[in-house]
Amino acid sequence: MELFRVSRDIYGREVLQGMSWDLLWVFFGLGCALIVGHALYRSLLAPKQR
Amino acid sequence: MTTSSRTNSGGTATAGRIVRHALPDRLFHWLSAACVLTLLGTAFFPILGIEFGWVTVHWVTGLVLMAAVAFHVVRVLVRRKLGSMRLGVADVRDGLAIVNATLRRKALGLRTGKYSFAQKLIHHAFAVVVLTTLITGGLMLARIDTPWWQRNPYLFRDATWSMVYVLHGLSALFLVTMVMMHIYFALRPEKRLFTRAMIRGWITRQEFDDHHDPQRWQVDR
Repeated sequence: MELFRVSRDIYGREVLQGMSWDLLWVFFGLGCALIVGHALYRSLLAPKQR
Repeated sequence: MTTSSRTNSGGTATAGRIVRHALPDRLFHWLSAACVLTLLGTAFFPILGIEFGWVTVHWVTGLVLMAAVAFHVVRVLVRRKLGSMRLGVADVRDGLAIVNATLRRKALGLRTGKYSFAQKLIHHAFAVVVLTTLITGGLMLARIDTPWWQRNPYLFRDATWSMVYVLHGLSALFLVTMVMMHIYFALRPEKRLFTRAMIRGWITRQEFDDHHDPQRWQVDR
């Protein structure tokens, strides 16, 4: 998986175009993991609050 | 009895309710939320293969968000409320208590000021990320034709444009995770009083007594 999008200019040099959009799934997955992790912690491990 | 008065720290109270968010602040929040969701949708749906004419909607929404953020900043400065989001020693102490209670799996009856340590952190995180997208997005407006100017792709060198694009994309990606977390916590049962306060403006006195330290958030009694 690439971190960046890269193209070439008219002289053949690499030009950075921005972040790779493959990372969208990484950040989406990170959000899902944090939500599931927190929900599991609160439902299974955390003491009941007032 | 519904007469209200205001303390020097911003809490307005009526007989059974304490105003947590005034109407202009709620309007700012929900307008910003609509803009951010629209910006994420117009940015990422085409990448996921859902094609539509996204460019105009994207930059116009960006301008609306810029205006909303400018309104928020000016309102905070004029009302001298900048300090209400400042992270102080008490907040760090709260943060350590939360970590300690989490690791030891102990119940934590923490009573905070108007905004908790976590709420201040997420506010500052959103501030950094949204301002980054707005500044870089504002610069990127130079590369499109609008009713007010013609595109000028030569405003910066290629390397500078590369940094602008990287920062814009990276902050947009962080927004995906942060928006997901923000909505999740807003829907959690123990946080619904804060969600209701962002919709209707108030919390009850009982909720105030349960969640807030009156020394750190002074409201009428």
